[in-house]
Amino acid sequence: MAVEQRISGVNPMGGLLYPDWQHAEHSTGTSIMACEFNGGVVIGADSRSTTGAYVANRVADKLTKVTDYIYCCRSGSSADTQAISDIVNYHLAFHRMELGTEPRVETAANVFRELCYNYRDSLMAGILVAGWDQYKGGQVYSVPLGGMCVRQPISIGGSGSSYIYGYVDANYKPGMDKEQCVELVKNSLALAMSRDGSSGGVIRIGVITENGIERSVVMGDKLPKFYEG
Amino acid sequence: MSSIGTGYDLSASQFSPDGRVFQVEYAQKAVENSGTVLGLKGKDCVVFAVEKLVTSKLYEPFSNKRTFNVDQHIGLAVSGLISDARQIVETARLEASNYRGQYGVGIPLKYLNDRLSMFMHAYTLYSAVRPYGCSAILSSYEDNKPEMYMIDPSGVSHGYTGCAIGKAKQAAKTEIEKLKLSTLDHISLVKEAARIIYLVHDELKDKQFELEMSWVGECTQGKHEKVPLNIKTEAENAARQILADDSDSDVDEI
Amino acid sequence: MSSILVPDIPAPGFSFDLCQRNSLLEKKGYPAPKAQKTGTTIVAIVYKDGVILGADTRATEGNIVADKLCSKIHYLADNMYCCGAGTAADTEATTNMISSQLELHRLNTNRVVPVVTAAKMLSQMLFRYQGHIGAALIVGGVDNAGPHVYCIYPHGSCDSLQYTTMGSGSLAAMSVFESQWRPNMSEEEGKELVADAIRAGVFNDLGSGSSVDLCVIRKGSVDYLRPYEMSCKKGEKQGTYRYKRGTTAVLQKSVRPIIIEDEMIQRVDHESMDTSS
Repeated sequence: MAVEQRISGVNPMGGLLYPDWQHAEHSTGTSIMACEFNGGVVIGADSRSTTGAYVANRVADKLTKVTDYIYCCRSGSSADTQAISDIVNYHLAFHRMELGTEPRVETAANVFRELCYNYRDSLMAGILVAGWDQYKGGQVYSVPLGGMCVRQPISIGGSGSSYIYGYVDANYKPGMDKEQCVELVKNSLALAMSRDGSSGGVIRIGVITENGIERSVVMGDKLPKFYEG
Repeated sequence: MSSIGTGYDLSASQFSPDGRVFQVEYAQKAVENSGTVLGLKGKDCVVFAVEKLVTSKLYEPFSNKRTFNVDQHIGLAVSGLISDARQIVETARLEASNYRGQYGVGIPLKYLNDRLSMFMHAYTLYSAVRPYGCSAILSSYEDNKPEMYMIDPSGVSHGYTGCAIGKAKQAAKTEIEKLKLSTLDHISLVKEAARIIYLVHDELKDKQFELEMSWVGECTQGKHEKVPLNIKTEAENAARQILADDSDSDVDEI
Repeated sequence: MSSILVPDIPAPGFSFDLCQRNSLLEKKGYPAPKAQKTGTTIVAIVYKDGVILGADTRATEGNIVADKLCSKIHYLADNMYCCGAGTAADTEATTNMISSQLELHRLNTNRVVPVVTAAKMLSQMLFRYQGHIGAALIVGGVDNAGPHVYCIYPHGSCDSLQYTTMGSGSLAAMSVFESQWRPNMSEEEGKELVADAIRAGVFNDLGSGSSVDLCVIRKGSVDYLRPYEMSCKKGEKQGTYRYKRGTTAVLQKSVRPIIIEDEMIQRVDHESMDTSS
C-alpha cells in the first residue's frame, strides 16, 4: 500500500528519489470500515498484515481497544499505529480517572489527531476512531495520513478502501439499523478484500453500544460471495 | 477570629498550635470586605449577580468588571481583591484553552474546578507566597445541565445550587435559602438575584454600587454572557419597587 | 548584494541537490550503501503445556559463514526466552538489556513477570529507535496466564500468535507450520514439528544452516537443547591421500650422537626486599 508509494517516489528529472534500502517495514495493507447507527457504531477490518509481498500475520487484529467504549481501526505501518493506540490508551485511561466519567469519542479522536498531526512527517497511520458516549451516541471520526480529524457517519480506510468507495456510496442510507450496518460492513470489506492484494483473511466485526463491545469474526470460507468471473 | 496570630500568622507555611493557618483565614477576611457576589442555579440557567461597589464617581460605568468569560460556556464571578482575581481568571482561561486544544471539546466544569482549586490551594502551602485574597464562583451549561462551583481562598471547593460571597454573604444566603431554586427559570432567577443584591446592600456604609449580572444556560444556547441591559434594568426596577413597598409597609406597622 | 547584516535569502522549498549528486555517483559506480542482510531461521509454537522455540545456528557475514554454531535463542528470564534474527549484535544487546530490566522488574514486584511485559518493553524500545536496531525477535514464554508467543519486528510492531517464524528462512519454516501445526500438540510432536520447520530453513535457505537448537518452556521448567540435532554433518572423506609407509626407499642412514661438554645448573630466585638503611 502506501509504503511502496512513498518509497518509489520518482523525482521529476527521472531517477529514484530515495535509495530503496532500509524498507521492510511491517505494514497493514488494509481494509477498514466504521459506520454509525442509532445507538452505536459498527467497526470492521480484514486480518492481513504484510511485509512487502509476504503475509506476516494472517489473523491480525486491527480493531484495537482504546477505552471500553472507544476502539480504533488501524491502517498504515503497524509499528506506528500500535504505538499511537498504546499512547492514546494510556492518555484516556488517565483522563477517565481525572474526569470520573468515560471520555468522549470526540476527545479520543482529538488525541489521535494531536499525535498524528504533530508527528505527521515520521508516522504512517490512517486511523478510524469509533465508539459510543452518552453525549452524542455512536460516532465515527476519521484521522487520515496528514493528521486531520473529521466526523463521518460512515468511513472507510486502508489500501482496500479505494475499491469500494462507489459501493459504499451506493449502498449507505442514513438511518440504517444495527443489522443493516453490520451487513453493509461485511459486504463492503469482502469486496475490498477480493480486489486488494494486501487485504484478506477473515473479517473482524465489532459493534459498540452503551453496553460495550460485541465482537464477531467472519471466517475466510464464510465471506459474502460476489461476482468472481 | 477569637485568637490573633501570636507569631503564627506571618507565614502560610506554618500551622498555629490549634491547627489553623492564619494567613488563609486573613485571606478569607479580605473576601468579606468586598462587595457581595451571588450565584443562583435554576432549572436551566446559572445567574451571577455582583454588587460592585463604586468608590469614586469618576469611574466609567461598567468598568472594573467582576464577571468574566473563561471559555464560551464557562463564566466566573469573583469577590475579593480584583487584581488577585484577574490572575485566577488568566489561569482558568489558560486551562480551558489548553483543554480545548488538546481534546477538541470544551473543558468540563468539574475538571476546571479541580484544576483551579489545586492552583489556589498551592498558594496556601509556601512561605514565599500569600494566598489569593478572593473567592471565585464558576458556572457553566453543559449537556443541558447548569452547573456551579465556588472556590475559597483556601482552595476548598464545592458544587452549589445557590451561593453567596462577600460582605453580606450571610444575609444573602438566608434570602437564597427561601427560594425554590430548582423551579426557577432564567427571568425569575435574574429578578431574584437583583432583588437580593438590592436587599443586602448597606446604603449607610457603601453609598454607591453598580449591579453587574451575567448568565449561562439554555436561554443563551450554553454561552456565558452579560444579562442584556433591558432585562437587567427591568429586574433592578422591580427590585427597587419591592424594597420601597417593604419599607412602606414597615412604616405602616410602626 | 549580500553582507553580514543583510544576508542572502536562501531559495525557499526543498533542496534536491543531494539527490542529483547521489544519482550521478550511482552512474559512476558508487552505489548507495546497502544494509547488510543476515540470514536466519527462527520459529516458535504454542503446544499443550507451554511453548517451544527453535533456531538454526549459522551466522553469516555477507556470503561467508562467520560462525557455524552460534546461539540464537537468548535468555530473557527464567520463564521466557527470545529468538533473534537480523543483526547479531543488535539482537544480543537488545535481549541483554531487556533481560536485566525484567530481572529488576521481577525483584520489584516479586512475581513471575508476564510475557507480554517483555514483549511490550522490546517493541517500545525498537519503536523508539525507528527500525535502526535491526532486531527481529520471537518472544516465547509461560506465565501465570499460560503460554504465549509474540513476534516483534525491527520497527516495533508486535503480534501475539500461536505459531510464528522469522528470518530469511521464515517462508520455508512457515510452510511446515501452516500444513502441520495443530492446537494442543504433545511435547514430542511439538519438538519434531519445530525441528522440521528449522530443518526446512536449514536445507532450503542459504542464510540458515548447521544445526537445530530447541528450547522447550513449560510452567516451572525449561529444556534448552543445544544442539538438538546436527543437521549438516561434515561429510567423511571417501578416499585417503596419504602415502603408505615405505613408499620412498631409504638409501642411506646415519646416526650422530650429541656430545655433552659441560653441565651447569643456575637457579633464579626472587630478589628479597632491600631493607638496608
